[in-house]
Amino acid sequence: MNKKKLLIALAGNANVGKSVIFNYLTGLHQHIGNWPGKTVERAEGTLHFKGYTIDVVDLPGIYSLSTYSLEELISRKYIAVERPDIVINVVDASVLERNLFFTLQLMELETPMIIALNQMDIAKKKGIEIDAEKLEKLLGVPVIPTVAIKGIGISQLLEKAVQTIKKGPIAKHAKVKYGDEVEERIPKLIKMVEGAQFCYPPRYVAIKLLEGDEEIEREVNRINPQIVSTAKKLANEVENLHGHSCSTVITSERYEVAGCVAREAQKLVPPIEPTIEERLHTLTTHKVMGYPVMAFSLLLIFYSIFTFGDYTSELLSGFFYEWEPLFASLFGSEIVGKLIWGGICEGIIAGITIALPYILPFYIILYFLEDSGYLSRIAFLMDNAMHKIGLHGKAFIPVMLGYGCNVPACLGCRIMETQRERLLAAFVTTLVPCAARTVIILGLVGQFLGIQWALMLYVFNLLIIFVLGRLAFRTLPGESTALIMEMHDYRWPHLKTVLKQTWFRLAEFIKIAFPLIIVGSLAIKLAEVFGLLEPIATVLSPVTVMWLGLPAITGITLIFGVLRKELTLVMLATLLGTTNFADVPGFGPVQMVVFTLVAMFYIPCVATIAALVKEFGSKKALSITVFEIAFAIILGGVALRILALAA
Amino acid sequence: MERRGTKRREVSLTALRDGETGTVTSIKAGHGRGRGRGWGFEKRLMDMGLTPGTKVTVVKSAPFHGPLEVLVRGSRLALGRGMAERIFVEIERE
Repeated sequence: MNKKKLLIALAGNANVGKSVIFNYLTGLHQHIGNWPGKTVERAEGTLHFKGYTIDVVDLPGIYSLSTYSLEELISRKYIAVERPDIVINVVDASVLERNLFFTLQLMELETPMIIALNQMDIAKKKGIEIDAEKLEKLLGVPVIPTVAIKGIGISQLLEKAVQTIKKGPIAKHAKVKYGDEVEERIPKLIKMVEGAQFCYPPRYVAIKLLEGDEEIEREVNRINPQIVSTAKKLANEVENLHGHSCSTVITSERYEVAGCVAREAQKLVPPIEPTIEERLHTLTTHKVMGYPVMAFSLLLIFYSIFTFGDYTSELLSGFFYEWEPLFASLFGSEIVGKLIWGGICEGIIAGITIALPYILPFYIILYFLEDSGYLSRIAFLMDNAMHKIGLHGKAFIPVMLGYGCNVPACLGCRIMETQRERLLAAFVTTLVPCAARTVIILGLVGQFLGIQWALMLYVFNLLIIFVLGRLAFRTLPGESTALIMEMHDYRWPHLKTVLKQTWFRLAEFIKIAFPLIIVGSLAIKLAEVFGLLEPIATVLSPVTVMWLGLPAITGITLIFGVLRKELTLVMLATLLGTTNFADVPGFGPVQMVVFTLVAMFYIPCVATIAALVKEFGSKKALSITVFEIAFAIILGGVALRILALAA
Repeated sequence: MERRGTKRREVSLTALRDGETGTVTSIKAGHGRGRGRGWGFEKRLMDMGLTPGTKVTVVKSAPFHGPLEVLVRGSRLALGRGMAERIFVEIERE
């Protein structure tokens, strides 16, 4: 083979060190984006090796190649349609059986492949010894033992991959053999599908038809519905023979094969003393001790993110605002100067002072938590509590972080498995009062009505989160939320991988968020410069004055709040010409509460909207935004009438 | 089935005591309310290794009716309680 450009795909379970291998292979030549039209992350990179230019695609971490999740479907399609020159199947040596279950499915796709038998060190600690040569013989697939976090075996892996590609058309892998009842029926279906052009091999199509795979059924249906009904009939026969559905039978038998291979290739000598990792697991998931440990860790995280963030944010904005006089002298303080400074520069400053100081440490810590394995333990402890709002344990992290800043919290929702869970978690997160909204709650209600009223607003907010969370949970279509999560052994994360993941995701966020933030602030500045704010306030007055009972100028302040929530209070002071809001006529305690309620819920700030756009696309971001505006306005008006009755 | 004083019983996974092991007999999907509680879950659980005939050990459960920690095929899983209730296992008890 004398092709100079090669395509390698990395595939395997979650948490097997796939991304570490990916980072070793591609270094800084990588690009992280989404799969076209999907919100599943796609990581790609390039490397040069022995005169070849090799593109590497890191497929999502999955446990099977069925159609349970978008990730699984994307991976399967990618392998079948794009036909990478080779698939490197990264396998966790410490959980061999379950990993081989996935390997067998890759083999059934009849793709050229090699296996990276990773985490050999963790396996060894658990007393598992694996004979790689034997495994290679049993599967008929080349196996390279690796310890990715130490860089061991990576160059051999690459060498082997290129070698295997050069050898040309692969020798057939060992076939996964099912029980007689299934095997007898496969050839019948193969014969029916053989003529048709599928991207999957005929035996694979036949097996998947027996399993009742919806995607394959759809494709086959287009060619000949007869085949699907025959498959259903055959599957029924198997079900009658076994007493379990045909899909269950096939999955069981595939697991049996994986189990057999694993048992033959590995020797198990469990350590007598529990390992440190094991003890740490016991402590961090303990019925009693687990919670203080968690509370302490989370407080520490929260504290460090926001101390670092506040400090750096202030430092940065101080630095940037020093340039304002220079700008004024360059562009004057007329319309042009105002637009450039107030619109573009302040937008950029807002972006930088929000994005960098908070999102950077957040991403690092999030990846650290995830890779080390602690995140899954937190999810284990918090699952029950999060179920009350229709989410499962993993959502606890983004929701909690929302109290600091909604932006990283929304970005963090990607730790959830399904698209639906991600969206639900993000929606709930945007309702959490972030630090900027805390400024309003404490600065207005806390200051002028007393701290107990501020606390009541927080409690009320929790109540709303609970109600809306449940409501969204019921209305959003799709599978309901339940926890099926692996708790892999504790391990030290690979620092370089964590840093690279952070860096590339931050860059991606900046690319999407900054234009939005700049356009947003420019639009508001334009409105201000051209004297449109007053007319807008008048246009809004039916809502602000008639329905919410607030002074008309609050309309302007709420618009500015879109940029940064704390600006609502700052603008209010500027426009009213006083910081003693209690003196303002027509702005009594009731109005303060209503104003704060509206500010709390009415819209996520522009940076949060940008984060939503990045994660879920503009349509969903827009619907969340519109919903929250409408909700806040309705809520404010109702609150006004109830409070007026009470007062 | 009686055998030297031990009794085989089919119970839900949540009925196992901490440290007890059972053999999966079936996953009763489609129970309970709400949509989507069918094929997807069953398939997912089986893809994670909980196929009929597999030995599964309950390590512990999180407090306040939280999820279960189980060992299956050499891996450690956390299963939401609602789901664990639908997994049926056979146990031998004195």
